[in-house]
Amino acid sequence: MKILGLDDVTFWYPATANPALENVSLDVAPGDIVALVGRGGAGASTLLLIAAGLAPRVTGGRLAGSVGRGGRAGIVLPTPWTQVSGMAFTVWDEVAFGPANLGWPVHEITRHVDRALERLEIAPLASRDPATLSGGELQRVIIAGILAMDPDLLVLDEPTAELDPEGARAVWRLVRSLAGEGKAVLLATSDVDALPDVADRIVWLEQGSVRAIGAPSLLAEDAMCEAGLGTTVAGLWRAAGLGAPYPLTVVDAVQRWR
Amino acid sequence: MSALHPFSLLAIAAALPAFAWILPAPGGALATALVALGLTLTPGAGPGSTAGWSTPGRRPGFVTFRTALVSAAPFWLFLLLLHDVPTMVRMGLRITTMVASFVWLVAALSPDRLVEAMVARRWSLAMAYLFAATLSAVPILRARARRIVEAQRCRGLSPRGSVANRLRALRALALPLVLSALHEVDERTLALETRGLGTGVRRTPLAAPLDRTAERAGRWALLLLCLAALIWRLA
Repeated sequence: MKILGLDDVTFWYPATANPALENVSLDVAPGDIVALVGRGGAGASTLLLIAAGLAPRVTGGRLAGSVGRGGRAGIVLPTPWTQVSGMAFTVWDEVAFGPANLGWPVHEITRHVDRALERLEIAPLASRDPATLSGGELQRVIIAGILAMDPDLLVLDEPTAELDPEGARAVWRLVRSLAGEGKAVLLATSDVDALPDVADRIVWLEQGSVRAIGAPSLLAEDAMCEAGLGTTVAGLWRAAGLGAPYPLTVVDAVQRWR
Repeated sequence: MSALHPFSLLAIAAALPAFAWILPAPGGALATALVALGLTLTPGAGPGSTAGWSTPGRRPGFVTFRTALVSAAPFWLFLLLLHDVPTMVRMGLRITTMVASFVWLVAALSPDRLVEAMVARRWSLAMAYLFAATLSAVPILRARARRIVEAQRCRGLSPRGSVANRLRALRALALPLVLSALHEVDERTLALETRGLGTGVRRTPLAAPLDRTAERAGRWALLLLCLAALIWRLA
């Protein structure tokens, strides 16, 4: 069973001759955590928009190939302040905005909203005005708003960009926990050091194409380190002139030294 | 006033300009302008917050009153340049009524209550949002303009001094304001779409504003009064 299946997908934004994505194939199953890594402009955000069903439906443009979805997707974009509904004066109402739009009964909305607030550890903010929150708090509110809609596929574009290290760790823990419940997660992040503990699969995108797909150990390979996309430990190991294979994490490095 | 049902606020804000144009000037227009300006001084009429969306009832009404006057003033100037004084007074009072009514409405009407009220009346959510977003655009743009002014000041731009200086500053303020607004529209569209705005499903009203019988009767009365005034003027 697949939640998302991309088969040879090529996508052009409106009025552009060159595709933003080219011949991309990818399957995501329930419980999978797939991480997209690549330099700016590699096509990760475009791939996420396609996965969320927003491209080309909302963005416009042209898509070749086929996209199959096995459930509802919800996307969290990198800038939280552009994602607030502007129609809510409390955090609770902001999180309830999506579920209410789905036409759920009020008791169902309440249950999902309260659960999402707890999972993001923002229940104490429930009665606060979203306008008074910090960027990190607002980012968690936006993630809660998507979670409260109970998506089968959670699409995250730089979900920890606005968060402090502890907040980022909490989000990564949440992602693992959601995958444990059978949710599929497709994410793009520049926080590659977190990926060995979070992701099941890494997709390396380069100039709109998939250059490699593999286990998180891909992040310690020479080519990725050369492209500046390896983990910090692998990069340091390589920069120090130590031999391959490079360690992926601090724990790996310590074991190698011993 | 902001405790009134959103449709009542809309009805008042629509009726005042209608009366201003229907009733004989300058007496009728003066009365409606005074009422509209008086409304801007009522408790609960305050401009939006600095963070991006309106927060009625947070600021003193005097700020709303001043905003209405400042917004109407340029119209008086142009009317003076284009017309004689009696025409300027007639038209100016009518335009002041329109401007003050709109400024009051933006300050008194919270977009979330409007959406809830419209959804409860089975309007489509997208239409309700469009309507409410139009009203909340004013405080959003004001707040962003303030942030851009602060940022440009940090970079040495002074929006004060000679006319040439001010014009240079205006360009440096207007361009980022327009570009950032356009960029935000794209992202907000994606965010709203993923949060179910375009599903076509009927939204669940979470807290539909109470629509009292007296208020409904008041709205009908306003409509009938407008029609009566129109018939009286046309007769």
